[in-house]
Amino acid sequence: MAVLEIRNVTSGYGEVQILWGVDISLEEGKLTSLVGANGAGKTTTMRTVMGLLKPWGGSIWFNGQDVSKLPANAMAEMGVVLVPEGRQLFTDMSVEENLIMGASPKRARDLVDTNLERVYTMFPRLKERRVQKSGTLSGGEQQMLAVARGIMANPIVLMIDELSLGLAPVLVLDLFETLRELKQTGLTMMLVEQNVQMALAVSDNAYVLAQGKVELQGPSRELARNEHVRSAYLGL
Amino acid sequence: MDFILASVIDGLLLGFVYGVAAMGLTLIWGVMNVINLSHGPIIALGMFGVYLIFGAFSLNPYVAILIVAVLGLVLGVAIYYVAVQRVINAPHLSTLLATFSVNMIIIGLGTAIFSASPRNVEFSLGSLTLGPITLLGTRVVAAFAAMLVAGALYLFLYRTRYGRYIRAVANNRDAAELMGVPSNRILALSFGLGTMLAAIAGGLIATFFPFTILAGGAYELKSFVIGVLGGLGNPIGALFGGLILGVLEGIIPTFMPTTWVPVVEFLLFVLILLVRPQGLFGAKS
Repeated sequence: MAVLEIRNVTSGYGEVQILWGVDISLEEGKLTSLVGANGAGKTTTMRTVMGLLKPWGGSIWFNGQDVSKLPANAMAEMGVVLVPEGRQLFTDMSVEENLIMGASPKRARDLVDTNLERVYTMFPRLKERRVQKSGTLSGGEQQMLAVARGIMANPIVLMIDELSLGLAPVLVLDLFETLRELKQTGLTMMLVEQNVQMALAVSDNAYVLAQGKVELQGPSRELARNEHVRSAYLGL
Repeated sequence: MDFILASVIDGLLLGFVYGVAAMGLTLIWGVMNVINLSHGPIIALGMFGVYLIFGAFSLNPYVAILIVAVLGLVLGVAIYYVAVQRVINAPHLSTLLATFSVNMIIIGLGTAIFSASPRNVEFSLGSLTLGPITLLGTRVVAAFAAMLVAGALYLFLYRTRYGRYIRAVANNRDAAELMGVPSNRILALSFGLGTMLAAIAGGLIATFFPFTILAGGAYELKSFVIGVLGGLGNPIGALFGGLILGVLEGIIPTFMPTTWVPVVEFLLFVLILLVRPQGLFGAKS
């Protein structure tokens, strides 16, 4: 069953159209990855779903409800949570305060303590640095915090934009391992990722975006064998 | 020597009240990067609020200040939705003009209703004599009230959910929005708190100085100096900035003519901007 459905969505910035009719459907409990070249519209898709950009046309459905016009804070309140590109941490706040901010939606507030324990188990490094200002963390720790803050919101759908960008390979492996753990809890996720090979390896389904449209879609395992994907995105 | 000590203490007491006014200005700047040019007239409205409530209902002026505080909050939220919200992402000139318009409206209406003749709140708490020093009761109480207000603001910002939202929106509005925080409402609340602090400061000043509807201007300028001293955007720094300015105002007249006070204040203002633009107390860059 589709938890979140993007139907024929067009969107862009100012005069510039980026999305030219995108259809994506996120199945419950599945990890769906969104791959494609720079400028293909991956981030724009996530920003439009989240309500940071208004769709120009088409519609977005969450649990059978039209959420096309909802602003980002209302989406978060409903359980659609975005871990944005560039992390967007509260740099003046401590690690723990960032996490508590993550639990701002009503549906997450009563679970602060449980979820704090959960993310500290997941990322022991964050626990060690809980009183440190988040602006002083290393890049990898900041990305852990960004993901952990997303989990604190007790999401129904977690969208992660560029999980591995700019991180050391060892850290990338750790973070992908975390994604697997999260998947096992039954969380529905959408991942935008530069590292196509990793993305296809970890996800159940994948969409290949090109020039603002879905070029290919299907189970990740099949796409990983697809000739076009192999030559255009995997360099094989 | 006693004379100087008395001036310093008197200045300190006044400094707490200046600090509260400046906290209002600097809170708004820190959260939404808006310089509130209606700050002065709102201080004056705080003065008139206490004057009118005291005059009409013979309420204790400090009770009147509580009412004025609530009205100040409501007024600020209204000003935000009417004048500030639509220019919040526009260049600084737009927010300056928008808040300056509010300034002109308040002063225009205030002059029409109250004229520009001075008023004062006929209220006294006697005076307090400690050895060679004599302090006006109303100033001592005002200083304590200002400390309470500063403490309450601190607790609100650092110990409550909405305080955390305000700090989060100040730090990264987009991220706060992603966490489910309705950032526009938080900005309205912050603006309301800023004007509430201005109104409270006005109300406290009204218990010991005469005033007109134009009286807020001088305190607005002081708030700017204090804000820069303490680091713009840092409400706690503003309290210390207020104390410094208060003490200066106490000391300067003991060795040069009182008319030199603003000269020294603004020299200091320019000097801080040149040498330490982030303010004496760090704050955000």
